[in-house]
Amino acid sequence: MRKIAVYCEKENNVLSETSYELISKALELKKSAKELTTENNDFLIEAIVLSNSIDANDVQKAYQAGCDRFVLVKDNNLDIFIQTVFLEAFMDYFYQNPSEIIIFPATPKGRILAPRITTKLHTGLVADCTNLEFILKDNELKLAPTRPTFGAELMATILSKSFPQCATIRPKVFKAKFDNQTKGDFIEHILKYSYDEARLKILSSINEKTGISDYSDAKIILSAGYGLASDKSSYDKLKKISEITGAKFGATRKVVDLGYVGKEYQIGQTGAYTEADVYIAFGISGAIQHIAGMKNCKKIISINSDTDAEIFKYSDYKIVADANEIINQIYSKLTS
Amino acid sequence: MNIVVCIKQVPDVTDIKWTKENNLDRSNMLSKLNTLDECALDYAVDIMQRYKNVTITAYSMGPSQASEALEYAVAKGASRAILLSDKLFSGSDTYITAKILAIAIRKYTPDFDLILTGQAAADGDTEQTHISIAQTLDVIDATSVTDIPNADKHRVIAVQNIGGEVNTYELKTPCLIAVKKQCKTKYTPNIEDYIRAQNIKIETYNAEDLGFDKKEVGIQGSPTMVAKAFRPVTEKNTVEITENKTEKILEFLLEG
Repeated sequence: MRKIAVYCEKENNVLSETSYELISKALELKKSAKELTTENNDFLIEAIVLSNSIDANDVQKAYQAGCDRFVLVKDNNLDIFIQTVFLEAFMDYFYQNPSEIIIFPATPKGRILAPRITTKLHTGLVADCTNLEFILKDNELKLAPTRPTFGAELMATILSKSFPQCATIRPKVFKAKFDNQTKGDFIEHILKYSYDEARLKILSSINEKTGISDYSDAKIILSAGYGLASDKSSYDKLKKISEITGAKFGATRKVVDLGYVGKEYQIGQTGAYTEADVYIAFGISGAIQHIAGMKNCKKIISINSDTDAEIFKYSDYKIVADANEIINQIYSKLTS
Repeated sequence: MNIVVCIKQVPDVTDIKWTKENNLDRSNMLSKLNTLDECALDYAVDIMQRYKNVTITAYSMGPSQASEALEYAVAKGASRAILLSDKLFSGSDTYITAKILAIAIRKYTPDFDLILTGQAAADGDTEQTHISIAQTLDVIDATSVTDIPNADKHRVIAVQNIGGEVNTYELKTPCLIAVKKQCKTKYTPNIEDYIRAQNIKIETYNAEDLGFDKKEVGIQGSPTMVAKAFRPVTEKNTVEITENKTEKILEFLLEG
């Protein structure tokens, strides 16, 4: 049977959310193969985790997300991520159990490991993809990943001439979907070799990550961008408006980095992700990293003085105006 | 200690022009040294200024114009500059680009201790090429590096910062480090540096010099191919509100 391998990661001792997103996407591919062609179109979805252990609940959830076979490549040396150690462990399993497609999460560690693996396999790798589908080329099913390039000004669909066909997939782009499938194969692959002396020693590891607000239940979000910086009181006013109306306050990375608002409010690729009912963007230009965190909100309203601002392309409602002025007016109305 | 720095010229992605057919208008693009590659150069120069017996060799793969970037690298402090240039190289993907660079590094600087690169190039932004170089040369790497507090012929200390997770590594040489933050020191070449640079000839090598067959590099040799490139369009039917702007926003805010 044909096979799609999904490389899954553990995060804080459980299987990462992105793992389920990728497994569900693989299931979509599996279904689309049946629609595209009538012959040799059955795929097995294999989730591969490199770790010293796995929780039974995580395995169950992976089956529900769409995986047919769960593989735990097991070794005590896999509790700390060292790329060359992970590479050897992955290859030890993969050489014996190859697949024609491997999808990796485009997380920091996924993006470190994946090129190691594909270089070792002398095959290509499409980086940081935001779309993934099967196409029919010369009557063959081909993996067709699409990625933003040139500062997201251009999208490129890139095919692989060699096997396996590989891509890293940006987290939070696809949705994890769970059904009632609770059974699948489980394979424990135990490594039988000893490691060379590590060429990399970890001297210290500190997590300076600050808490990020949870926007998953937010109904309405008022979000602040760098366009408000000409009147910095707007940031506090918008926060106050959020409190009065029960909305949630958010911001772009730029204003967080500049220290105008706290890190916990950051929305975007390296911050929080939201699918709120209403997203009102005040003075946000629309950097692709910010868009990644909010583009799936149901109603997006943007206020910007630049009529060509990128954010308008992703908005349901466009308002060309000075966002500071609008904030002042709303603030007066609500506080008077 | 022998340091290799890989640099690249990139089009200015903040100033992209489009043709009528919605293709990138490459003929009108300005090229500049990729910002993070300049940072890599700065780290190399910083190490050279702090320790004795450090040499820097700069590599660039690209058209003949890439020699501009190499001349700048020499003015900054590189004692050798190597341009890998061949029409056959054009269209190489990350795997093949890494292979070309790795084979050249092994051939022309076999006694390298440290390879420095930028974490990403502004145009492709794959963050893959440096890792693929490390794998092809079978050396350990540290990526997303924000500081190199210590470096000698045997080991390099590097601080990696991935979204607030800060790891300090000790790497055995030879190794590769990809930087993603400006170095604390930045050396700006003066007129004397440029005069000295004029006396250093840029070495240029092509596919044949590196032992590549034409089928092994460029578009032909690359395992990936661009099937389609298009300008992203959103499916949104954006409605512009031109009157009663504040009232309308209040409505969204209070009524959803």
